[in-house]
Amino acid sequence: MRKDNFFGLTAAVAMAAMMAAAGPALAQQQAPSLDELVSSGALPPVAERLPSNPLVLEGESVGKYGGTWRMGLNGGGDNGLIVKTVAYEGLVRYDHEWKTVLPNLAESWEVSPDAKEYTFKLREGVKWSDGTPFTTADIAFAVEMYQDPDYAAGSWMDNKNNPMTIKVIDDFNFTFIFEKPNGMFLETIAGVDGIHATSLQKNYCSQFHPTYNENAEADAKAAGFDSWALYLQDRCAWGWETIRFANPDLPSIYAWVIETPLTANAQRVTWKRNPYYWKTDAEGNQLPYIDNLDMRVSQGGVEELTLAALNGEIDFQERHIATTTNKPLFFDGQEAGGYHLGEVIPSASNTLVLQLNLNHLDPVKRELYNNKDFRIGISHAIDRQEIIDVVFTGQGEPFQVAPRPESQFYDEELAKQYTEFDPDAAAEHFAAAGLTEKNGDGIYLMSDGNPAKITVDVISALRPEWIDMLEIMQLQLAAAGVEIELNNIDRTLFYEKRPAGEFDAQVWAGDGGIEALQEPRYYFPFSDESVWAYRWAQWFNGTRPEIAEEPVDWAKQQMDLYNQVRAAGTPEERADLFNQILAITKEEFPVIGVSLMPNSYSIIRNNLKNAPESMFNAWLFPTPASMDPPVWYFE
Amino acid sequence: MVGFIINRFIAMLLTLVAVSIVAFAIIQLPPGDYLTSYIAALSATGDQVDPRVIENLRNQYGLGEPFLVQYWKWITGIVQGNFGHSFEWKRPVWELIWGRLGYSILIEGMAVIVMWFIALPIGIYAAVRKYSLGDYLATVGGFIGLAIPNFFFALILMYLAYTWFGTTMGGLFSPQFENATWSLPRIWDFLGHAWAPVLVLATAGTAELIRILRANLLDELKKPYVVTARAKGLPEWKVVLKYPVRLALNPLVSTIGWLLPALVSGSVIVSVVMNLPTAGPMLLRSLTTQDMYLAGAIILLLSVLTVIGTLISDILLALIDPRIRYGSR
Repeated sequence: MRKDNFFGLTAAVAMAAMMAAAGPALAQQQAPSLDELVSSGALPPVAERLPSNPLVLEGESVGKYGGTWRMGLNGGGDNGLIVKTVAYEGLVRYDHEWKTVLPNLAESWEVSPDAKEYTFKLREGVKWSDGTPFTTADIAFAVEMYQDPDYAAGSWMDNKNNPMTIKVIDDFNFTFIFEKPNGMFLETIAGVDGIHATSLQKNYCSQFHPTYNENAEADAKAAGFDSWALYLQDRCAWGWETIRFANPDLPSIYAWVIETPLTANAQRVTWKRNPYYWKTDAEGNQLPYIDNLDMRVSQGGVEELTLAALNGEIDFQERHIATTTNKPLFFDGQEAGGYHLGEVIPSASNTLVLQLNLNHLDPVKRELYNNKDFRIGISHAIDRQEIIDVVFTGQGEPFQVAPRPESQFYDEELAKQYTEFDPDAAAEHFAAAGLTEKNGDGIYLMSDGNPAKITVDVISALRPEWIDMLEIMQLQLAAAGVEIELNNIDRTLFYEKRPAGEFDAQVWAGDGGIEALQEPRYYFPFSDESVWAYRWAQWFNGTRPEIAEEPVDWAKQQMDLYNQVRAAGTPEERADLFNQILAITKEEFPVIGVSLMPNSYSIIRNNLKNAPESMFNAWLFPTPASMDPPVWYFE
Repeated sequence: MVGFIINRFIAMLLTLVAVSIVAFAIIQLPPGDYLTSYIAALSATGDQVDPRVIENLRNQYGLGEPFLVQYWKWITGIVQGNFGHSFEWKRPVWELIWGRLGYSILIEGMAVIVMWFIALPIGIYAAVRKYSLGDYLATVGGFIGLAIPNFFFALILMYLAYTWFGTTMGGLFSPQFENATWSLPRIWDFLGHAWAPVLVLATAGTAELIRILRANLLDELKKPYVVTARAKGLPEWKVVLKYPVRLALNPLVSTIGWLLPALVSGSVIVSVVMNLPTAGPMLLRSLTTQDMYLAGAIILLLSVLTVIGTLISDILLALIDPRIRYGSR
């Protein structure tokens, strides 16, 4: 009897506890801060604001509403942080592991076998932040704007190498039709580029375009702009332009909408919840959980942000403050600041990519740099471990420019070849490259009798450690017989020098360590960022025909393979083709890497739940937005 | 006096024209233009920009035109009160800079006043009590202020405020006052934040002032009229303050014009470090992104301030030292 009672009591308590736990969550369905707006009639009930098939985001736990997420922008022009935090809302998105493409605004899609036609079905009932429906008309309008020659932008929608058209079927179904196969299109729009198509609301933005408003030109003049295009740009801009976040009237589909806009004089940019946000948690509660975002705007220095993070005034952030030098400081400050450090895996493979200019206009240098033995010699002459110990406090390992260990394309041989420090092997390779005589300073003489001196362009303002690394490499290579001269310049000049073709070498970080397939700039002459073969890349892209040069055979073969990658229908086919490209890269060894980019870290306040303890970080995989901040909450 | 001012005024205008040409030329000197740095930013994020698109934009912005045409458009606009559009912010330049210049003048004006308040008494004391312990202390203190780089002093202050009081010092207002209208609590909040940058900026210049004042005053104190005054039984404070100090101020007053630009340029890094919304960080950023109308306007306005400052110091000088006025008769 007593026993029964006991069990009955525990059961009752458990039931009550469960109901207490579940009760409020089920009863809420929306943030309490919206209750009054709904009861006063200013806002329709939550059921009418949500789509018929809302996207369900699952966090580790069901959260509760409220709170403000505090973070910091670096300087006024830091639209990157906003894009990576709130604006990542495309037709499709990536999963947390950056592997598969998942539905977002589109709930399903079909791809034609030739990878030229992509038919999407939009989620019915999704609404812009002003309450108007999000339909195919908005997508078609965005395509029209991007393709308008007077409204110059640059996107996959106006790519002249593979022109695209849109066919609207009805309000929720439409097809993108490409002239040539575009096998990687879903990956493209699952990345940050996808937001181009979903950023312009026709209802609002069309009022500034002469096709829809015959007074557009006059309105622009009256508002003080020289043309309608400049006025439209000011009001709507494109996917991630800074000025997009300067107009609080602009409707969006983000989880939070602008309250205090990002202007040149803003000291703080704030956001409040979007009452029409179209995602819910597993129990049907409308997201986001967090009410407000508060981004303090620093004036370009990050010292104040660093102190703020130490002081517990930043709730989650990686960008700007997570520098290698700050790491011990943040580690020690965890207890006092009430935060802990999360793991951030960079997408870049390498700390420094030494890109010799294979398209150099000086025939002697061109011949030398194109000689694979010369590049191997340099690689063997670098003592990578010394650089890792001195500059990166032992973090990282010797690494070439190759896919990272986390990538499906990781190939140990490609990553490790020629990385051992071996002066004898270096000398042998230099001899094989025709370098045998040295001058009085111990520097090899090139075939024209001049010393083998390489002027390396570097932007130390971007990554201060580049200069530290290069200064060590300078000593190491001088001992091996190659002179390096550091040319620390401004970024604009850095870019201006590329088309001219008279630079010896430039350095950058190893982009494409994980997103190798989408960003193969170091594996073959792919884009303007393939500095090592700028003129061959122009031949591939057709962007600057006046300086394009026909590539050597192996590069042409890679370009051919990449065109096949674009046309391939399945991920397996693409992976197979891309591995063939990488095999050629391994054989030809075009650029020289130093060490694997060490992991970074994020600052996570201890009371912030559902935030990622580990995440990738890349521009194409915009974190933290791709880790679903709408389900994060404060305990 | 009126003729003197008119003369000065004409010289001022000619200087400004020359300065505007130089300013515009300097901004155009680096390779590339705003669009180059714009493409650089896009390209770094993995975006490809069709060169024809850029050519379109270049024409839209009028960047392809020769230097003189661009300058003429710019300067005629300014005469009509139009400083042009900022490329980066797509806004009229004037709208962007007036608030920032206001804060700059406010902060730096306060720094000048604080500097004088600290330096004048110390300078007089150091001269009157030459080689005393106080003289040495004041001089050493002043030199320390001069020797510590401003940004470093700012960092130390911020770090101490964080470790001792657990506050993050930065900005000019607490969050709740940032967008409020001016009121007594807001002024109080402003003063609570502004003292630190004002102190940092003020300490940098005090040593110089102390030394100039001390040296001048030492020269004056030896002169016969001072001895006469003292012999006639005037109280010591009156002997010192009535004439010698006034004359010793002469070189200080004549350099007022240089103070303003020196403070603005000196405050750039402090503003960046301490997160102050003044003109300095905006100038720095506009130069790196080659936002030339914005940069040009700030440089031009700083030049205007210099020229106005010089005029003020000329007038003040004429007032405190009658000998100056003889030149214009």
